[in-house]
Amino acid sequence: MLVLPTPANRRLWLLLLVGAQLLFIVAVAAAGYATTAYGRTVQLRTAPVNPHDLLERDHLRLTYGITYLPLTLWQEANEPRRRQPVYVALRAQGDAYVAVRVYNQEPSALPPDQVILRGWVVGSSRRTLRLRYGLERYYAPENQVKVLNKKGPHALLVHVSIAPWGQARITKAEVL
Amino acid sequence: MSRKVIEVEGPKWVAQGIITTEQEQRLLALYPIDDKAIGLLPLLGSLLVLLSALSLIAANWQELPLLVRFGILLGSVAGSYVAGEYFRRRGNTQLGMGLVGLGLILFGTSIILTSQMFQLIGYDVTGLVAWGVAGVGLTYLYRSRLLFVMTVAIGGIVQGYNTEALGAFSYATAVFTALTLGYYWWRYPDALLGAVLATGLLWQAGLLIGVLHIKITWFFVAAMLIYTFGDWQADRPAGRALQGPPLVAAFLFVLGLAIFGEAGSYTDRLRPPLLAYLAALGVVLVLSLLGKKARGRLGSATDWLLLLPGFYLDAGLPLAVAALVVLYAYTGTLLWRAHQEQNPDRVTLGTVLFILTTAVAYFKLTWGFMDKSLFFLLGGILLLSLSWYLRRRAVQTTAPAAPPEKL
Repeated sequence: MLVLPTPANRRLWLLLLVGAQLLFIVAVAAAGYATTAYGRTVQLRTAPVNPHDLLERDHLRLTYGITYLPLTLWQEANEPRRRQPVYVALRAQGDAYVAVRVYNQEPSALPPDQVILRGWVVGSSRRTLRLRYGLERYYAPENQVKVLNKKGPHALLVHVSIAPWGQARITKAEVL
Repeated sequence: MSRKVIEVEGPKWVAQGIITTEQEQRLLALYPIDDKAIGLLPLLGSLLVLLSALSLIAANWQELPLLVRFGILLGSVAGSYVAGEYFRRRGNTQLGMGLVGLGLILFGTSIILTSQMFQLIGYDVTGLVAWGVAGVGLTYLYRSRLLFVMTVAIGGIVQGYNTEALGAFSYATAVFTALTLGYYWWRYPDALLGAVLATGLLWQAGLLIGVLHIKITWFFVAAMLIYTFGDWQADRPAGRALQGPPLVAAFLFVLGLAIFGEAGSYTDRLRPPLLAYLAALGVVLVLSLLGKKARGRLGSATDWLLLLPGFYLDAGLPLAVAALVVLYAYTGTLLWRAHQEQNPDRVTLGTVLFILTTAVAYFKLTWGFMDKSLFFLLGGILLLSLSWYLRRRAVQTTAPAAPPEKL
């Protein structure tokens, strides 16, 4: 028999339930700080963006250099399937990281200069693989959006923290 | 009878000497003025104020300092729950439960907005599963149908997001919602909750089939497993309501086979390995029949007619005809049982389904080779006479037994 709330201990149950929910929201925020504190930071270059394309009031829509990858990086037995989760190995090259291989399972061992960023398959053609990382929207205050949104086509450098437990977040974005 | 009737009719009754003025007052006293209506205006007023605050915050969300945003989220969640509990204790149960429900929605919103504030990406649905857990907890705590329905919806949304955006099925979410909400329904049987729960679980089963890329007919093994719990439920209306959505799904599927079965282009997608499929469905059938026997409802075993795997037949006319035979067998037994039980609602349902089946059958079998005006004329006459006959039967079944000399 489960311990169900009775009229006698209702109040306690309510306090526990609401308290747990508030704590959980705090924990989500804590995970955000922890990801920055303990995570490994990688820099990703966005594709040159036309200001008109990314003009939104409170966020930027970003396309990364690693959004479209050559299909040769996919060396698995099965064809990539739409919406399938993938693990992209990144390596520093110059001021930004580039993709070196796309796995369908998390690789057990990885050279120390590589780091895994998770993503999903959007689609694939004969030569290219299109991925999504969940980092395609950058929310920022309006004045910051305006700075990043300066005139003329330009690329951005986006700093992403990847926590050892797998969460990731954008910490900074700057104009290249 | 409502207060309004007595207020309007009372003076006439007094005037006609049926009741006295004093009796009229005593009758009125039995129906006190509903105080819900009085509370409506302040409620609407505060709703508008709330909306104004909401739009103000939403418009300036990114400009607000992080801590302020975070405070607003925590405060609105806690505030809704506290206000809900306050109104509930003062006896205003509906408003109270509404506010608790709002708190639950705000909790989920806060998880999403907090992740967004930190640009945080999760790769599993832990955050959203917590939303479902909170919903279940509140449902048990308040024993509220509103919260139950909301939790079923949350489970569906979480699973939908998980399969759509994260490309994976959350077995934790499915098992958790099925067990906790299923147990709740089992303990506090309720027809509405049964139907809602079954619909929510079918939705998740459908998503699972999609993610696993298996033949869609496996869906019916899951659906009939849900159906089987309805057989074992002691409360008949609650059990029947749980069985509604699986039966609707099965009926629509067979109807689809009858209408489109000839095309054959997709019938491959319907055929799982014969033995495995029949074995799985057979196990569920046995469990279902045992339940029906234990509760003395073996008559409803005819529901299983809809599960006859006609889709193994060759595509083309044989498949369409087989589907029609199954549909007729099902609706026919449904009507027959409804007449036996003298249940007017089910007679109506059976009539509608029978006429629908006839319409499909007629369309299917005669459209190709008949002059179109004749086709519609004959079809119309067929359906009209069928509905007239079925209605007559229904009236005979449900009418009180007439004295013999009038027959």
